[in-house]
Amino acid sequence: MHLSGLSLTNVRSFRRLDLELRPGMHVIAGPNGSGKSNLLEAIALLATTRSVRAAADADLISWDALRDEPLPVGRLSAQVASREGPVTVEVVIAARAGLEGQPAAATRRFRVNGVARRASDLIGRLRVVLFSADDLGIIDGAPAARRRYLDVTISQLDPTYVRALQRYQRVLQQRNSLLRRLQERRGAPNELDFWDQELAESGATVLTARAATLAALATGASARYVDLAPAGEELAICYRPALPPPLTDLVSEPAAALAPRFLETLNELRRRDIQAGATRIGPHRDDVTFLLGGHPAGVSASRGQQRSAALALRLAEVALSTQRTGDAPVLLLDDVLSELDAARRARVLATAYEVDQVFITTPDPDRPSVDELPSARRYQLVSGAVRPIEDAAG
Amino acid sequence: MQDPWPSSTSPIQRLVEAFHRLPGIGPKSAQRLAYYILRAPEEEARALAEALLEVKERVVLCSRCQDITEQDPCRICLDTSRDRTSICVVEEPLDLRAIERTRGYHGLFHVLHGVISPADGVGPEDLKIAELLARLRDVDHDATEVIVATNPNLEGEATAMYLGRLLTPLGIRVTRLARGLPAGADLEYADDVTLGRALEFRQVVE
Repeated sequence: MHLSGLSLTNVRSFRRLDLELRPGMHVIAGPNGSGKSNLLEAIALLATTRSVRAAADADLISWDALRDEPLPVGRLSAQVASREGPVTVEVVIAARAGLEGQPAAATRRFRVNGVARRASDLIGRLRVVLFSADDLGIIDGAPAARRRYLDVTISQLDPTYVRALQRYQRVLQQRNSLLRRLQERRGAPNELDFWDQELAESGATVLTARAATLAALATGASARYVDLAPAGEELAICYRPALPPPLTDLVSEPAAALAPRFLETLNELRRRDIQAGATRIGPHRDDVTFLLGGHPAGVSASRGQQRSAALALRLAEVALSTQRTGDAPVLLLDDVLSELDAARRARVLATAYEVDQVFITTPDPDRPSVDELPSARRYQLVSGAVRPIEDAAG
Repeated sequence: MQDPWPSSTSPIQRLVEAFHRLPGIGPKSAQRLAYYILRAPEEEARALAEALLEVKERVVLCSRCQDITEQDPCRICLDTSRDRTSICVVEEPLDLRAIERTRGYHGLFHVLHGVISPADGVGPEDLKIAELLARLRDVDHDATEVIVATNPNLEGEATAMYLGRLLTPLGIRVTRLARGLPAGADLEYADDVTLGRALEFRQVVE
């Protein structure tokens, strides 16, 4: 798949940007702080509905609009050409100025082909794989970073996952609130019955989807790690679901087989959950371990090894996305090539040739060089505008 | 940034804030309403103020169905032509009015004034469920069916299941509103969840 058009209005450093796009490689050069990453962030947001970086949605709206306009609105839209035909996806972020002294909140609205839709109906229309320096956090960051990686990756491949995850999170919040009430001896424990049943059902869907996707990613990443670090040790990736031992084996079974056992276990642990005032098992506490030669990569591996492991994971993600949908995702390489040696850069660029469309940001307009990427269209990003650079060689 | 508001203790500012607290009223509408009142004749402002106070003084909850009413019991509860074997349970008084508008239901109602939502601190004891049980034992012991018409979201489903478990042992048939495609809808534009439900609860064409 590829983007045939991209429009941004009042998004980060872009007041107004309209790009007509074609398949192929796009190198976007610009000095640090020129908004290269903002451009890729915007494309990724249209795929996942979430920003990879912004803490609050209002942060995505351009500063100028927040300062000058009474009702600041950021608008992102893209025309996507995929195997399933053309589709337009649109995300509108509106800041609601509160009364004096209140912080500005923001609401997000989604449209697919001009029709208002839920986020879960938009996710997956455009699929991207974003390579960035932040990927190291998947290896050496907190478990939440790895859960987030899984959620963003699986959501794009499986619409039922998005809905199960959203439902799980709402049920979990309600269940934990009820557990705290029960801890304070308000209410009756049988009020948990409904929430336990919902938690087990949506949770089983999340757990089995994570297990299946991670198994595929682990195989692909191990094979690619050998290419990236030929003399290196073996990369192994293991899913660590936050379930008691008899249940952990069931995550590779269908969700319908796991759900009733998950529910039984919630019943068995009910008294302990009430004492703790929190749900102590389930996908919200999952983790993933990366092992290099049998040792945890987050602790004992070198920076270079960690970088190769993250790269192998992203490359495996590209292959999985292509294989599951029959249509290659759009590749976003956010200033990652400069950190790699020639051999690894070649590996990444080889994958770039296998997909329909690639966006590469770089601070140095001569890297990657014309020799490395002869067919790439080159652009310069200056003060919020993207201008083609006339190709002297071609 | 320049302060667009008069001083925060001014009557205008207090009125703007009072309007802003109302549902569906943003800061701009609140400002527009306040300045409208400011320019309106005094009788109009007085009439509005009296209407506001009157609604708080004269309107009470019906002791049977818990709907808002000026007479207790309310007109629906006293209407002898209505089917007393069926009670439709709704979240809010506005939901009752929506069902009345269909003219397709002739039974009684019961308003819960909320749904179970632990995150908002609302448990079954905070809803008018004890009142429902009381009337099922007493004035409305003829009721054989309770139709749960809560919203089709998580909290509405939690409330429906709670009522089902509570009332079924009393020999009452507890039913739930059907879920599916809205009338006049275009299949192409239906979201996946709604369409999936409509498929799941499909009906035989005779």
